[in-house]
Amino acid sequence: MNQWEVFVMDMSELAEGKDIQISIRTLNPGMHKYTYKHVRAQVSSTLDKFPDQLQVRMGRGQLSPAKFSIKVIEEIRRLPPQYS
Amino acid sequence: MSKISAPRSNREFIEACVKAGDAVRIKQEVDWENEAGAIVRRACELGAAAPFMEKIKDYPGFSYFGAPLSTYRRMAISLGMDPASSLPEIGKEYLARTNSEPIAPVVIDRKDAPCKENILMGADVDLCKLPVPLVHDGDGGRYVGTWHAVVTKHPVRGDVNWGMYRQMMFDSRTMSGAVFPFSDLGKQLSEYYLPRGISCPFATAIGLSPLAAMAACAPSPIPEPELVGMLSGEPARLVKCETNDLEVPADAEIIIEGEICPDYKVEEGPFGEYTGYRTSPRDFRVTFRVNCITYRNNATMTISNMGVPQDEGQLLRSFSLGLELEKLLRSQGIPVTGVYMHPRSTHHMMIVGVKPAYTGIAQQIAQLAFGSKLGPWFHMVMVVDDQTDIYNWDEVYHAFCTRCHPENGIHIYRNTTGTPLYPFATPHERKYSIGSKVLFDCLWPVDWDKTNDVPTLVSFKNVYPKDIQERVLSNWTAYGYPAVK
Ligand SMILES: Cc1cc2nc3c(=O)[nH]c(=O)nc-3n(C[C@H](O)[C@H](O)[C@H](O)COP(=O)(O)O)c2cc1C
Repeated sequence: MNQWEVFVMDMSELAEGKDIQISIRTLNPGMHKYTYKHVRAQVSSTLDKFPDQLQVRMGRGQLSPAKFSIKVIEEIRRLPPQYS
Repeated sequence: MSKISAPRSNREFIEACVKAGDAVRIKQEVDWENEAGAIVRRACELGAAAPFMEKIKDYPGFSYFGAPLSTYRRMAISLGMDPASSLPEIGKEYLARTNSEPIAPVVIDRKDAPCKENILMGADVDLCKLPVPLVHDGDGGRYVGTWHAVVTKHPVRGDVNWGMYRQMMFDSRTMSGAVFPFSDLGKQLSEYYLPRGISCPFATAIGLSPLAAMAACAPSPIPEPELVGMLSGEPARLVKCETNDLEVPADAEIIIEGEICPDYKVEEGPFGEYTGYRTSPRDFRVTFRVNCITYRNNATMTISNMGVPQDEGQLLRSFSLGLELEKLLRSQGIPVTGVYMHPRSTHHMMIVGVKPAYTGIAQQIAQLAFGSKLGPWFHMVMVVDDQTDIYNWDEVYHAFCTRCHPENGIHIYRNTTGTPLYPFATPHERKYSIGSKVLFDCLWPVDWDKTNDVPTLVSFKNVYPKDIQERVLSNWTAYGYPAVK
């Protein structure tokens, strides 16, 4: 199970029951902790619905009590192709 | 000018600080995740010695140096002065050095450059190989650049810019940062690179000599490599980058080379800021793609932890903003006695002392201050007369509360340039860097009769004859009072 975290300005950014695109950071221990991926994913407030856990922070870093489970469907490359 | 012997590298500076009792060596292991940041924050809030953390969890061979210039003592050490020097003495020295002849940098061979001792290129490039700290819990990421210089060059004019613009690690090869549109880099990007869709080469230098760091955050029109030379009395030693034509300080601890993407933005922030708050929210900001990392053996990463007073964001910026305004006002022939920004104002209020030579002098000062390159960084100017000690807040506050006329002395300027970091600004103003400014004119009006209209200041210094003052001073302990220092 992986631990992820997301920053949102509004909880409506975490719509359930459909694919959403978000930037999430890994909370797994190790030297890559806190690095981001931009992903297509599904989230659910039912904690055992999806394999990974998602913690939420608001725009100024406040930790939200809301918790989600998350399924990362795919990583989305936003970087234009000219960059290696 | 006397020969300057200022620390020439971050390492020499740490040694000098330890020797003066202004840095402590922390031998026990410290976690890069929050613990190092919390130590630096507490040291800032206590005005304590700078922490030199020699052992970092997960990162053998690296160390941290925190709060490098968050006290006037360390600022004096950085300039090669007696640590006990007073603020006006440090200011005088800064003005003398920065008004001297520019000293051009020298470019040295890469084999002599300590920052080339380790080189990561291609698939080896990974920012996570550096001990990038999580400075405050709840920050949007681990911050690579908190006390550093982002080096860029204008491709046509060739102007070199070193600026301290925060940089967050987004992933192993990407950083994002807050580069304000009114900063030199912001202007370079919007004038040249962005409209052409060309990527801008950059190099981030971390673990600089303290005077190179001072130059990177000084709002001076002098190009930073020369400014470092003037501040330190000798040429800055630079070396060419591995992957672009930029030149970086050869003695820096870590160099990150890459390109600023004109067509790609990732999220940045939030981050603890110099105002003492996390104000600017997560947003899409300037994005830096990393192509190469070079670093010294046993590299030391420098950390500034911004928050409530007082850290170097407040102390050093107040210092240089105030003195650069003093230079500007003197260049216009305005008879100022000095300019001071109290660091606890989180560099939001300029206090200007002036001889009230003519009507409207306070407005002229405010218009110059707000209209200059310095202007976006503060929103209050308070002008007091040449009898008021600008460094003595009790005197300044008294002048403000008693001489500033609520209708005639307070002038508001609307729709000016602001920063997204102003805590008091509305969300709309922050989004578009809209500012508003205020002048507090604490001068007696020039058209008041000096004898009959201007109230007499009732103070020991002002109302008693000299001989009585001297008698009272010389008998003070004889009256039974303890001696006054
Ligand atoms: C610790 C610290 C962090 C700073 N972070 C930023 C920043 O993220 N963005 C910015 O535009 N200025 C920042 N500044 C202020 C700039 O360093 C300052 O405006 C400097 O003069 C920039 O150079 P410029 O005048 O060449 O743009 C910071 C200053 C300090 C001391």
